[in-house]
Amino acid sequence: MAELRCQQIWASYGERDVLSGVGLVVQDGTLTAILGRSGSGKTTLLRVIMGFIAQRRGTVTVGERLVAQAGGVHLPPEKRSVGYVAQEGALYSHLSVGENVSFGLPRRERKASQRALEVLELVGLSRRYAGRRPHELSGGEQRRVALARALAPRPPLVLLDEPFSGLDAALRAETRAAVLSALASQGTTAVLVTHDQAEALSMGREVGVLISGRLIQTAAPAELYRNPATLDVARFVGEAVVLPGRAGEGIVACPLGDLPLLDRDVVGPVETMIRPEQIEIRRARTGALGSGGGATGVIAAVTARTFYGPDSVVHLQLDGVPAPISARILGHDVPEPGERVELAVVGEVVAYPGAPPVPVDNPSPEHAALYSGSAPR
Amino acid sequence: MPLPSGLVTICIAVAVIVALPVAVTVVQALQGGVSAAKTAITASATPTLFLHTIELAAVVTPACGALGLATAWVVERTRVPGRRLWALLLVAPIAVPLFVTSYAWATLSSSLTGFWGAAGIVTFSYYPIVFLLLAASLRVMDPALEETARSLGLGAWRTFLRVVLPQLRAALLGGMLLVVLDTLVEFDAFVALKFQTLSVSVYAQYQLGFSAAGAAALSLFSTLLCVVVLLGESRLRGGANYTRISHGARRGVARYRLGRATAPVLGGLALLVALSFGIPLGLLAHWFAQGGRTAGAPAGIGALWPATVTTVLLGVASALVAVLLALPVAILAVRRSGGLVTAIERSTYLSFALPDLVAAIAIAYGASHVAHLVYGTVVLLVLAEAMLFVPFAVVALRGTIGLIEPSLEDSSRALGLGPLRTLWRVTVPLARPGLAAAGVLVFAFVLGDLSTAQVLLPAGLTTLGTQFWADTGTVAFAAAAPYAAVLIVLGLIATYVLMSRFGRVRGLGEG
Repeated sequence: MAELRCQQIWASYGERDVLSGVGLVVQDGTLTAILGRSGSGKTTLLRVIMGFIAQRRGTVTVGERLVAQAGGVHLPPEKRSVGYVAQEGALYSHLSVGENVSFGLPRRERKASQRALEVLELVGLSRRYAGRRPHELSGGEQRRVALARALAPRPPLVLLDEPFSGLDAALRAETRAAVLSALASQGTTAVLVTHDQAEALSMGREVGVLISGRLIQTAAPAELYRNPATLDVARFVGEAVVLPGRAGEGIVACPLGDLPLLDRDVVGPVETMIRPEQIEIRRARTGALGSGGGATGVIAAVTARTFYGPDSVVHLQLDGVPAPISARILGHDVPEPGERVELAVVGEVVAYPGAPPVPVDNPSPEHAALYSGSAPR
Repeated sequence: MPLPSGLVTICIAVAVIVALPVAVTVVQALQGGVSAAKTAITASATPTLFLHTIELAAVVTPACGALGLATAWVVERTRVPGRRLWALLLVAPIAVPLFVTSYAWATLSSSLTGFWGAAGIVTFSYYPIVFLLLAASLRVMDPALEETARSLGLGAWRTFLRVVLPQLRAALLGGMLLVVLDTLVEFDAFVALKFQTLSVSVYAQYQLGFSAAGAAALSLFSTLLCVVVLLGESRLRGGANYTRISHGARRGVARYRLGRATAPVLGGLALLVALSFGIPLGLLAHWFAQGGRTAGAPAGIGALWPATVTTVLLGVASALVAVLLALPVAILAVRRSGGLVTAIERSTYLSFALPDLVAAIAIAYGASHVAHLVYGTVVLLVLAEAMLFVPFAVVALRGTIGLIEPSLEDSSRALGLGPLRTLWRVTVPLARPGLAAAGVLVFAFVLGDLSTAQVLLPAGLTTLGTQFWADTGTVAFAAAAPYAAVLIVLGLIATYVLMSRFGRVRGLGEG
């Protein structure tokens, strides 16, 4: 129902800049996920949009309405019509579920309670819930009620602050789906902040990566994952194998062979970023493990493996390359530690110019880190 | 889960100890026979006294509630300039003994000696209790509750009415309960006023040498009022003991800008501090000035040092005992719920069932019959003071212990520590700020206590309070001034410690 536009937002706590020139546009009726570690400034960004913090510089516009302009306009939170779903929900323990949901409605509508029941159903809870007390609900139900409460007054924009934290995996997936469908049915524009990559990538029409107060890249999830703007972003949105290489003519030469580049214009010494699932494994002598992909003739030794159910991560040591790398493979036929395997890379890879020269003999710790570079899950 | 029987037994023992004076008083009243009781009760003034007492409580309690609520909200939720200083000044009246305030008001104007004077003194002396409790509750309230309300379009006032007030309901009722019960048995506040309440008349009964039985019978009216109030409060409170559903965010709240309201708010705070704390300070200054003029005043000053030592030691010992009595009750009240738990917790409030003086006499009487060893010793006085202020210690401890994650205690048990060692190695260290707050609160009240010390202080000892009382009794106001001054200084030190500890847990800083 309204586009959110943040321009050049600077915010600080005392001397320390928490947000440095953040620009964000969320299109009408879409959800943008802001992905950042704790302390990256993502909650501060929400609080600036809400009006709980006054930014030092920059403007916030919701639809046609300028709600905050540093040094000028600062609408108080209650005048912004911006819905807010706090971490863990923040339901009112002194009110029933129905009263919580209708909390922000005008008195007449609160009495009628029609809207409350309607919104409860919207988030996938039956009318029976209206009479319950918040502490009787499960964690997932509490989050849904919190969303229902935010949606009840039909705000054009809703902000969700880590709305699924502390929920177990199954509940998380179910609650995410309920939230997405409720938002979509109301056509509400939404911003969700999270530190969970999978959550951001699966929920956002666009995903913005916030690192140390800077919004480094905002893009559609697939684009962000396949073509991250920087190595930091690459490591943050997923696991990354990073190898030194030399680029030219749309090809990068690296320890995994000559690989096609996504951005064909890069030349010179680079750091090559490959997603672990792009690396396929064949048993050195007995034939294919993975499917498709041409062998590169690169041989590695399996050092360890981690089983995740549908897939496994295989830790590998390349011949002549000091740091270990990892590959993520589907299926049940996973090589044993100690086996020698042949590697192949599927699809295009990304290269970042400016790789340091590689001393092969005596790798420093930083150098080793440069090789392995897996992001924390 | 079944209630831990050991803890329950200890708590019941504490409740019984606190209720002992009431039992002794009943026995005393019965011993005097029906006629003595009848004489005392049917004395023409009794219905008036009864009415006075109730009227006083009816005015003071809501006034304290409103003042405590307003000040706590301003200090914890707005950007009022100097809020740390204001917080300190708002609690400072706890540091001033009521009998000093009473003299101050009586000296100020004779028109302040009636009902409104009494109501004013008690209100301005007791509202800090409500302030302390509510400020602590506001500090730990999940800020997201108020933020959500504002995101839903509610301004400051409506957020206060629809979110803050309901969430504070349990703390507010708890604070007002302490105020109403303390008011019903208050005596010290009225010593210099010519205002008659039940307590004052009981005191007169003893002074004029009437039968102790008559006084006992009369004071059982207080017990009746106390029980009625306790029952009433439990009905009012209903299910208002809201538990936090989630931990919420550990960050500060977005405070309101006062804007144009800054000046009136500052003016209001200044007026309140002037009335509650300025008047007694002014009186002291006046007395000192008088002493300077008449010279020869420091005659009685020789007793100042020994009286100070006695007072401090008495205060510290009583605080320790009170905290020890209160700790098991607070733990039970926080960790378990149910009728029995509430009954045990509330029965400690029976220390408000009798005027201090009557309770002290009952304790002396009981000890003289069954515990000769401690009769006439400081031990008895310490015990009596501790019993008197146990409810305050329970309240202070409950706030802190409620902030300690039960899982911390659970993991200690899982590591093989028994309940006592868990208490000693986990709960007590984490609750240290609360233990300090409880102790200091009791300490401050013991400083300001007069009646109990007068009855139970062993011969040859004086406290700052009793010396002040003796000097004002002989109209030696300049001589009394240093005693009051030392009392207030000690009280202010206690207040400072109290403010930095009340309702906090180690390691969680400001919520």
